[in-house]
Amino acid sequence: MNIDFAPELEAFRANVAEFFATAPTPAIREAGRKTTSVFAPFKECMEWHRLLFEKGWVAPHWPKEHGGTGWSVEQRFIFAEEYRKADLPPLLAQSLGMVGPLLIDLGTAEQKARYLPGILSGDDFWAQGYSEPNSGSDLASLSCRAEPDGDDYIINGSKIWTTYAHHANRMFMLVRTSNEGKKQQGITFLLLDRTDYPGMTIRPIIGLDGFPEQCEVFFEDVRVPQSGRVGAENEGWSVAKHLLTHERGVSSGMSPTLMRYCQRARQAAAATHSPFGGMLADDPVFQRELGELEADIASLGHFEKLAISGHEVVHDPAFPSINKTMASELTQRASTVMTQVSGVGGLARQLEALRVGSNVEPLGSEFDLISMPLYLNSRATTIYAGSNEVQRDLIARSLAGA
Amino acid sequence: MDFNYSEEQQMLRDSIGKYLEKSYDFDARQKLVRGEAPWSAEAWQQFAEFGLLALPFSEEQGGLGGSISDCVAFAELFGKHLVIEPYTSAVMLAGAALAASGEAAAQDTFAKVIGGEAVVAFAFEEGHGTPSPAHITMTAAVEGAGCVLSGEKRLVIAGADADALVVAARNGEGGAPALFLVEAGAAGLGSRAYRTIDGRSAADIRFDHVKATALDLLATALDDIVARAIIVQCAEAVGAMGALCAITTEYAMTRKQFGVPIATFQAIAHRLADMKIAYCKARASLLYTTALAQGGAASQRDIAILKAQCGKLGRAIGEAAIQTHGGVGTTDELSVGHYHKRLIACDAMFGDHAYHFRKIGAG
Repeated sequence: MNIDFAPELEAFRANVAEFFATAPTPAIREAGRKTTSVFAPFKECMEWHRLLFEKGWVAPHWPKEHGGTGWSVEQRFIFAEEYRKADLPPLLAQSLGMVGPLLIDLGTAEQKARYLPGILSGDDFWAQGYSEPNSGSDLASLSCRAEPDGDDYIINGSKIWTTYAHHANRMFMLVRTSNEGKKQQGITFLLLDRTDYPGMTIRPIIGLDGFPEQCEVFFEDVRVPQSGRVGAENEGWSVAKHLLTHERGVSSGMSPTLMRYCQRARQAAAATHSPFGGMLADDPVFQRELGELEADIASLGHFEKLAISGHEVVHDPAFPSINKTMASELTQRASTVMTQVSGVGGLARQLEALRVGSNVEPLGSEFDLISMPLYLNSRATTIYAGSNEVQRDLIARSLAGA
Repeated sequence: MDFNYSEEQQMLRDSIGKYLEKSYDFDARQKLVRGEAPWSAEAWQQFAEFGLLALPFSEEQGGLGGSISDCVAFAELFGKHLVIEPYTSAVMLAGAALAASGEAAAQDTFAKVIGGEAVVAFAFEEGHGTPSPAHITMTAAVEGAGCVLSGEKRLVIAGADADALVVAARNGEGGAPALFLVEAGAAGLGSRAYRTIDGRSAADIRFDHVKATALDLLATALDDIVARAIIVQCAEAVGAMGALCAITTEYAMTRKQFGVPIATFQAIAHRLADMKIAYCKARASLLYTTALAQGGAASQRDIAILKAQCGKLGRAIGEAAIQTHGGVGTTDELSVGHYHKRLIACDAMFGDHAYHFRKIGAG
């Protein structure tokens, strides 16, 4: 057992902190402070993506030969810690964390050559087309259909909860190519070169927080080339499952962000009067509650560190479900504590003040501006990517196999 | 970063695990708890032969130069087997205090401790249930060339059976907390012995002008000793949690009601999942904090997080295990309730989860 505390690592930390202090534009910083979701404001997020790409730091978790950094586990954590301290917008996972690593593993030489450069540079953004109106937790029941026609597929059906599809220029999706056998057997994994094919319509959906983060995507006789298929026809389910394993190595996980929320809550509580007298940060009940949350987030962080170091926890078949359940529920708890600190200060709907570059002065503090949207947005975290009820089913099922 | 046990540690775990499987199964443990002897002298001798009593101490001190992760490696197994021998108190606490002292009397006693010839108890608790020496009120008064102790200590593990006591007390009225060595037969000692709910031998001890030798430790040494002991106690708790998860999962998959295994009911399945999640949190915090401590980088806050999490998550796992077992889980016959009682005891000693959560939240 060991953790490397070599002095070179502190020099690395200083180097990273220096870059974060100087490279981001004011708009990127503002976007970071106004991030109220795991999905940061799109435009500034991608600007930041491009700056990190130019620095060579955009994909620390990728193999070095494909554009990764080749950092040690310690370095990756230092990078993540400094990133959160600087309140910068998190990069979007769909491209760098999902389709990119998938193509590295399973893509054809042509697919890699065509798509990896744009994923790395941030010239492309990929939407993920998985869920459908009638296929949520039961994803394998999906029915959006792709019929082979010469060298193409003709797609008919619809996708929903397609995050930022209205910003995306490419899309990866699961389609039904067969109704024979088990429902998992007739699914195919497709890469869409464009999101403006004739017959394709994208409709943004306004969320509880007032923002269009999710979309519905409709396909009406949309013709796409079969060369965009990953893996064999009807074997898309195993491709999708392989992609899931990459969520293990996406980044350092959620804990640095959540710890940062706690710090911000403590700072805000130090400036908030308790109705029982004194400041809220000194209230024993508040301390007890914040401490319990921070300890739980710390345990998530320890779990993430074990995973990223290659400890056996990561080989547990239930790992993705355990990680997802912990991270999503802690996101909700952290944002709940934040709204408690804001109190009535969180009730004003301030969409304009939240928009990057609006120059609208928020009512109250910047903390009050973000706490309620974060809370409202976080209601989705225990529902998306497999609801936590499904995750618990999977964890329990894995125990049967143990 | 590496959070795995080394090959040597794995070998140590294998041999101790084999011994405990063979000689310390649940029935044997229950016989011990019901018996007259405070613990198994044979098991203690076996621990000495494995080198566990000397393991955490440096070679200059006469120890084996083991690390905190060595201790965690086997302490998990102590928890898995509900070991009642006073390892944490006698070795991690009293032993470490003696080892750190330059006093001749302390050195003599320490040599006997690591040789398995003497057991020394650690008299620290006064009823506050915190790891902080700041709450200690017992005071040592100077008398002649030495000093005397008066007051009461509670929950002294092995207190009525030990050959000597290491006692935490203030150096004079309002003085700093310090440690003192007291011989077991010293005049003025009055013990009330009992078993704890988790089967260990303990005593509340009154001190009435009891002669003591000051152990001249640095003030920070006491904090460090307690921090290391907390890590080992948490390792025991995590071992117990792992055992409860395995036993309960197995039970839910075989116990049938309404014609099917109860694990097929979603309410039960989700409780099993929550137990697994809780165990993953606790064990991750144990391994990470151990690695931090090994690198000399574990702060008071890191220790508080580990202690709080093991306390809260241990209780939750224990309660879920009893509920899943149903009626039989509430009986003395099954190991499940005994694991739960060990976890409750681990939570209560050196600050329960509520205490540590508030400390953490205060920033």
